[in-house]
Amino acid sequence: MKAHPFRGLRAILFKEFIIVWRDPMTLFFMFFPPLIQMIAFGYALDNDVKHMPMAVLNEDRTAESRRFIERLVNTETFRMVGEVQNVEALASEIRKGNAYVGLQIPPHFTRDFRAGYPAQVQLLIDGSNSTTALQALNAAISVGLSQSMEMALRESSRRTVPIEVRPQMLYNPTMRSPNFFVPGVIGIVLQIGTTFATAMAVVREREKGTLEQLLVSPLGRWGLMLGKLVPYLCIGMAMAILLFVIMRFLFNVPIAGSVMALMISSVVYVFALLSLGLLVATKAENQMQALQMSMTFMLPSVFFSGFIFPRETMPWIFYAIGAVLPATYFIDLMRAIILRGASVLEYWPSLAILTGLAALLFCVCALRFRTKIG
Amino acid sequence: MPSRDDVMIECEGLTKRFGTFTAVDHVSFAVSRGSIFGFLGPNGSGKSTVIRMLCGILEPTEGTARIGGHDVIKEGDAIKEMIGYMSQKFSLYDELTVNENLIFSGKLYGLRDKALKQRRDEMIAITHLEPYLTRRAALLSGGWRQRLAMACALMHKPSVLFLDEPTAGIDPVARRELWDLLFEFAGQGMTLFVTTHYMDEAERCSHVGYIYMARLAVCGEPDDLKKMPDVSPPGTRRLDVTCDHVTTALQAMRGVPGVRSATVFGQSMHLLVADSITTAQIEEKLRSVGIAKPDIHEIGPSLEDVFVTLTDKLASENRAAAA
Repeated sequence: MKAHPFRGLRAILFKEFIIVWRDPMTLFFMFFPPLIQMIAFGYALDNDVKHMPMAVLNEDRTAESRRFIERLVNTETFRMVGEVQNVEALASEIRKGNAYVGLQIPPHFTRDFRAGYPAQVQLLIDGSNSTTALQALNAAISVGLSQSMEMALRESSRRTVPIEVRPQMLYNPTMRSPNFFVPGVIGIVLQIGTTFATAMAVVREREKGTLEQLLVSPLGRWGLMLGKLVPYLCIGMAMAILLFVIMRFLFNVPIAGSVMALMISSVVYVFALLSLGLLVATKAENQMQALQMSMTFMLPSVFFSGFIFPRETMPWIFYAIGAVLPATYFIDLMRAIILRGASVLEYWPSLAILTGLAALLFCVCALRFRTKIG
Repeated sequence: MPSRDDVMIECEGLTKRFGTFTAVDHVSFAVSRGSIFGFLGPNGSGKSTVIRMLCGILEPTEGTARIGGHDVIKEGDAIKEMIGYMSQKFSLYDELTVNENLIFSGKLYGLRDKALKQRRDEMIAITHLEPYLTRRAALLSGGWRQRLAMACALMHKPSVLFLDEPTAGIDPVARRELWDLLFEFAGQGMTLFVTTHYMDEAERCSHVGYIYMARLAVCGEPDDLKKMPDVSPPGTRRLDVTCDHVTTALQAMRGVPGVRSATVFGQSMHLLVADSITTAQIEEKLRSVGIAKPDIHEIGPSLEDVFVTLTDKLASENRAAAA
């Protein structure tokens, strides 16, 4: 007589739901840290740099030089934090961290460009953070270019610039960082909150000896695995919905695509993460190990999933790691659905791979699970 | 030996090795239906390992085991329906109430609705758990945890029940009550396999096996074991000597030729002496160390005598083999 593979599923579900409900610590650790992380990450991962402190050494002191400074400030990229009297003072302001950018306008600035010579200004940028340095550089260069262009136009007979680029930002018209990052943050935060839960749930039974009791019974391994997974899937989905609400109403990220598609993607993703937790449980001997092993998957998901850095520019090995992470496909789906409002015809490959990963992880953990001890 | 049809548990050359360590070494025995088999042995001698192999949750390295005629490895699913297992830890779900633990155990074995409720009520009646039904298992005292663990193990009416040290850490009253229940179950035809350290419990078993250093040293009915030549050598008898200053008396008797062994048992000492030694000689010896009026009478060996004798013998054999 062969036992039904899902035998005992109802019993495990009955018990797991009660235990989850009566164990406020697990619920707390599933909900609270992810919420805090979501809000913290959402605010912290904003690399729209505005109002960078700028020190100015103006040796020219003309209306034109002052207008140039004013234009830089008007881009909202810079703000004046003070004027200095010599080059050493300018450098020291940056070194001390008082200013991020130092602007030096030499004495002959106005005279040079009126005489038709190229007038030069010196810009010192703190390059320690390449992202912000690049933004400062771009802002300064474009101010210089546009002012030059105006002067050149005034001197020539032309009314307009020869070539005009008219960009139109699709999907994130205001170029807000939260729109890009927050959907990704949901993927990362869901992983933090769920993977450990199933891992702990199984390992705890092993530690307490109740697993031995289950193994003596005719419970099927698929029944045990699914019974462990489903209650946490419910909690995981409650958390996902909460995170989407925060994204929509706290970070004001509009959802361009279908909410249904978001939910389906989330169910598949959380299922994959919980299966990963069960897989951890087939290896881990105690709760400490289970926790550490679950966390092992965290950093790759942050770095190689395209959450912060685009995967396309990564060395092949990291690209390959990213290709097996559920987070990669979930974040991809979130950006497609939330930002681009993509339809199922456009994002189905990611969803298909994510579903495949989830099914594979679940099968592997159920098959690897030893129905014997020792 | 019981007839084949009646054998519920049997194993042949059952062996378990963990790496180079042999936890169970070629153990063979048979237990017939309705008997209480007491499995004894020092800590770490392999008792729990044998139980786990018989329950089908630990694969033997060698040998076979059958429960009710089914091979535990090849027909694991069939034996799971037949056996109940109560582990040393009284494994219960602390977050669940007494009632929920019972319901869960029943559901695990496929009981539902009316049958489930009916069986739960039966188990509650047997174990007197009514007053605690809504209490969390975590808040039960040791004796009640043990009762609940047993009730859970019995929900599916197993024909063989394995109990791994069911009375460890339980007060004497609860211990007595548990044994009363076990006798009742055995009377109904259930086969019980019990590990224990308590000699009084071993005396109550219909059969006992004694495992020492991974090997089954003896196995049989308690009375037969007591008649073994190692335990009761021909030409000797056992005496119970009740007197004052038992330790002084012990020292005195140990030096006397013809006294094979002397052990203290509470207020008295037990002597194994050659038939040639008379009661008068013992009284004489005791008087010489200042002990008057000892009460001497002949006794049979206890199971403790059996196990102590066998342990000494096996330990000296092992030392001889090692040297």
